[in-house]
Amino acid sequence: MTAGPAAGVSSPVVDRSLVAVAVLAVLAGCGPPDGDYFGRVAPPDRIDPAHFTWCSQGEPDHLDPTLAWSTASIQLVVMLFDGLTTYGPAGQPVPGLATDWEIAGDLRRFTFHLRRDARWSSGRPVTAYDVAHSAFRVAHPLTGSSNADWLAPIRGATAYLERRALVLRRVVGPYRAGEVVEATGEVPDVNARTGSRPLALRDLGAPAGAAYAVVPAGVAVTLMMTTGGRATLPSPDGAPWAYVFWPRDLEGVGGWVPAAELDGEPNGDAALQIRGEPDDRGPTDTGGADEPGRADRGATQPATGPEGAAGLRPVIRVSGRDVVHSTDAIAIAVPDPYTIVFETRDPTPYFVALTAGPGLRATPIEAWSRWPRHWDRPDRIVTSGPFHLAAWRERDRVELVRSPTYWDRGAVKLARFTSLSIDDQAAATHLYFTGGCDATAANTIPSSYLPAIDGEQRGGRAYKDYDVSPFLGVYFLWLQTEKLANRHLRRALSLAIDRAAIPGFTHGGEIPTAQLTPGAPIARLSGADLAACGVRRDAPGVALVMAPGELCYVPPPGLDHDLAAARREIALARAEGGVPDHPIEYRYNAGSEVHTQIAEYLQSAWAQIGVPVVLIAQEWNSLLDATARGEFEIARFGNVGTVIDTESEFLALLRCGSPFNRGRYCSPVFERLMTEAHGMVDRRARNAVLREAEAVVLDDAPLVPLYVLTQKHLIKPYVRDYAINLLDLPPLWRIWIDPGGAR
Amino acid sequence: MIRFVAGRLAASVAVVFAVATASFLLLHAAPGGPFDTDQRRSPAVQRAMEDRYGLHAPLWRQYGRAMAQLARGDLGVSMKRDIPVSQLIAEHGPISALLGALALAAALGLGVALGAIAAWRRNTWVDAVVMTGALIGISIPAFVLGPLLIAALSLHLGWLPPARIAGARSLVLPAITLGAVYLGTIARLTRGGLLDVLDQDFVRTARAKGLTERRVIARHALRLGIAPVVTYLGPAVAALISGSFVVEKIFQIPGLGTYFITSVAERDYPVVTGVFVFYAALLAVCNLAVDLAYGALDPRLRDARERAR
Repeated sequence: MTAGPAAGVSSPVVDRSLVAVAVLAVLAGCGPPDGDYFGRVAPPDRIDPAHFTWCSQGEPDHLDPTLAWSTASIQLVVMLFDGLTTYGPAGQPVPGLATDWEIAGDLRRFTFHLRRDARWSSGRPVTAYDVAHSAFRVAHPLTGSSNADWLAPIRGATAYLERRALVLRRVVGPYRAGEVVEATGEVPDVNARTGSRPLALRDLGAPAGAAYAVVPAGVAVTLMMTTGGRATLPSPDGAPWAYVFWPRDLEGVGGWVPAAELDGEPNGDAALQIRGEPDDRGPTDTGGADEPGRADRGATQPATGPEGAAGLRPVIRVSGRDVVHSTDAIAIAVPDPYTIVFETRDPTPYFVALTAGPGLRATPIEAWSRWPRHWDRPDRIVTSGPFHLAAWRERDRVELVRSPTYWDRGAVKLARFTSLSIDDQAAATHLYFTGGCDATAANTIPSSYLPAIDGEQRGGRAYKDYDVSPFLGVYFLWLQTEKLANRHLRRALSLAIDRAAIPGFTHGGEIPTAQLTPGAPIARLSGADLAACGVRRDAPGVALVMAPGELCYVPPPGLDHDLAAARREIALARAEGGVPDHPIEYRYNAGSEVHTQIAEYLQSAWAQIGVPVVLIAQEWNSLLDATARGEFEIARFGNVGTVIDTESEFLALLRCGSPFNRGRYCSPVFERLMTEAHGMVDRRARNAVLREAEAVVLDDAPLVPLYVLTQKHLIKPYVRDYAINLLDLPPLWRIWIDPGGAR
Repeated sequence: MIRFVAGRLAASVAVVFAVATASFLLLHAAPGGPFDTDQRRSPAVQRAMEDRYGLHAPLWRQYGRAMAQLARGDLGVSMKRDIPVSQLIAEHGPISALLGALALAAALGLGVALGAIAAWRRNTWVDAVVMTGALIGISIPAFVLGPLLIAALSLHLGWLPPARIAGARSLVLPAITLGAVYLGTIARLTRGGLLDVLDQDFVRTARAKGLTERRVIARHALRLGIAPVVTYLGPAVAALISGSFVVEKIFQIPGLGTYFITSVAERDYPVVTGVFVFYAALLAVCNLAVDLAYGALDPRLRDARERAR
């Protein structure tokens, strides 16, 4: 989903260490700046209290929530578009478009009630249909949205994306009209339609004269949705309307037409095979054919047709005109314009948090229909969030202004927000230093500058405008378990590493850990969070606070540094013939000083237990490719969570057959525990089972955690309410400027 | 002359397609694809993203489509940003061109002048100082010179902004960083070219007529003596106009040079092919201009070309 805080700022070609060395060589003549602050602080009368300038992590790829994928994009998207929920100061979901919500006891049904005063910047009310239509666009295969995984827990969403979920248009064999079925084998485009007359694409209910695109007669379009569905708009005139997409170029155009005008079905006679409810597996539920959890899926109800999943259903042949690739296959319902209901395949305790993400943010259909890939330009965009887009100069800056139509505009104190698109760490730091921006996004400081900034070169006095906070991400090593099959060897490799030494040379304030699930150091938790976690302040390690003061996950300790134990384990491995007779290959991505330093440190650590290691630096894409194919022995990696939940974000990596399981680990015990936890609705009990599961993994050591990632920020002392949170999604719209103040 | 130009342009078209083919094949041979990530992106989502750009079609079909597009003058659309490559070049190319032109103007003006002075005062301390300075300019890479200039003139003295384009002042440091190596090279080439020419008969004749050494160099020798500089200018202009990744990165200049590197790293196939084709075309045009300039500078070449026809 989103990239980590360091994404977008690394450069494989310019070795920034050289850049930094050059600058520091000059700085060395004068030393780091004196005073409390690293960056220059302007006098109060020269600070604009209504304008905030941010050195972001780089150029946003899109400002359309459906297509935005980088952190730099998503941080701006959440300011421009409101979600059912949005991010609170701690990263927790807080009411946005939705004033409140109800969660069914089985954690499979989520009902959101929308506020009536939410408006698009065009003045039109934001309704539940906007949320649903946006979700359908994200889930549609033609969109190719990188955010479709946000919808994966919703029943039918993944099968719809794969075009496997179809809805029957008539009774066929044992199946009823309206029932969701699964297509098997080759699936023709059953939604191809033509008109015997030109199709005038327009807004719903508009006259043909108001068309903004006209499809010539006989040219195929794709039927995307129709009025009157479970979550689509009602017909404006009693007759059904159809929303179609015309791929006239790579951008295409979409629009509504009266459904009767679609009188041609080019693939209506094509044959295909169908059977009962689709096998709808999401990214966190990726077990093999023998995965125990799959047997439970049949127990869930289809989107339509209560009998849809009652055991095995026969495979039958139908023609293209018997079925439709319909949004009704996705378990989203809009019973009235201000209520939306989602049904998930499995208990999804974190579902409310997903509604703050880009995949479920509402977008205006009238804008993305006209310019599907480029409606996010200043002259076209229609927004619903605290800010509106005023200007976007590519690879230079994005200018936002306070939205006059945002429902909570009184809480937005800034009039302007300028995001400078800086994709070089040194440049961002230089700009901040000279007053070019008021704060920097996470991790836009070169690692070689950190000793000057974190106080190491000033007798331990860190600058007051420098902040280091934990991030929901972990730096770890994948061990390829088919190549390093001996468990004692893997355990020895983990036990031999003194993780506490790593921050000493990386200087980034990293939090050493042998735990897989990241979190905040227990020693820094509040009293309420300590109570929720059930630990004492002097307990080692980190804890993941899932709901402040209420719910907490404390990961098991893992195999931390113990050289004697490492030597015992390696002796056992040798006795079993489990140590390769060649130096083990350690792969990491080139172009980063930190990865090189860590690789060299690990090489020396493992030399202490007699395990020789050869270091191989690879270009990033080559490393991804090699590890995805399992062609490695040890590889450095990382994982970043997008919601605060360890099962879906971290432990799911290790499920048998998971596409993210680069270590090819598969443990029946772990699978059993994960399956058990996956079906649980009591969150505390679920956490207890997950803890057992994580302990199994850490004990087997298919991966070796090294540290919790951190986010480093520079923030001027007059900036208020810059709420850094675990997700690196601070609610930037809450920032305000206090020109006379110091933090 | 027209036949010569037409012939060269036809050859350039072949070169452009050869470059497009090479960049297409090399990049597709490299591991990974444009949508590979270390994040947890499901195979279904990955497939949908790749399908949108036809990445599952056989390679020969993808190649055929790319070349057909190129033949129509369509460079395709960036897979990572959804922007037409031609738009990307049109928006960012002029920024690189402006910076390159500034750097080139400074490098050319100063380089030729300094080279001429060095030739004029050859084997004196003036020559030694100029040539040492030129050697330093050539030897210090931009990723060292740029940060040094930033540290001195921006961070400590606060005279100039450290990054981004915001007014004429912000172009000073990147232009110096970009132009230094060209300045040094041009000065050395000018000096060498002049020294070769200064021993030739027509220069001796000019001297025999009683002209001062300064007039001999400025009026007679320099015209032929800068021929090596003209040769050098072809690729230099193409490189300067198409942008420098290093300088643009250090100073956050939104030019075209960045795409030469990032598009390869991101496996953004249309952008790679597009910017390389653009560069190849630019190089071909610049080299043609150099050939034409030779004729203007040296009548013997023009006459030889006429005779060959």
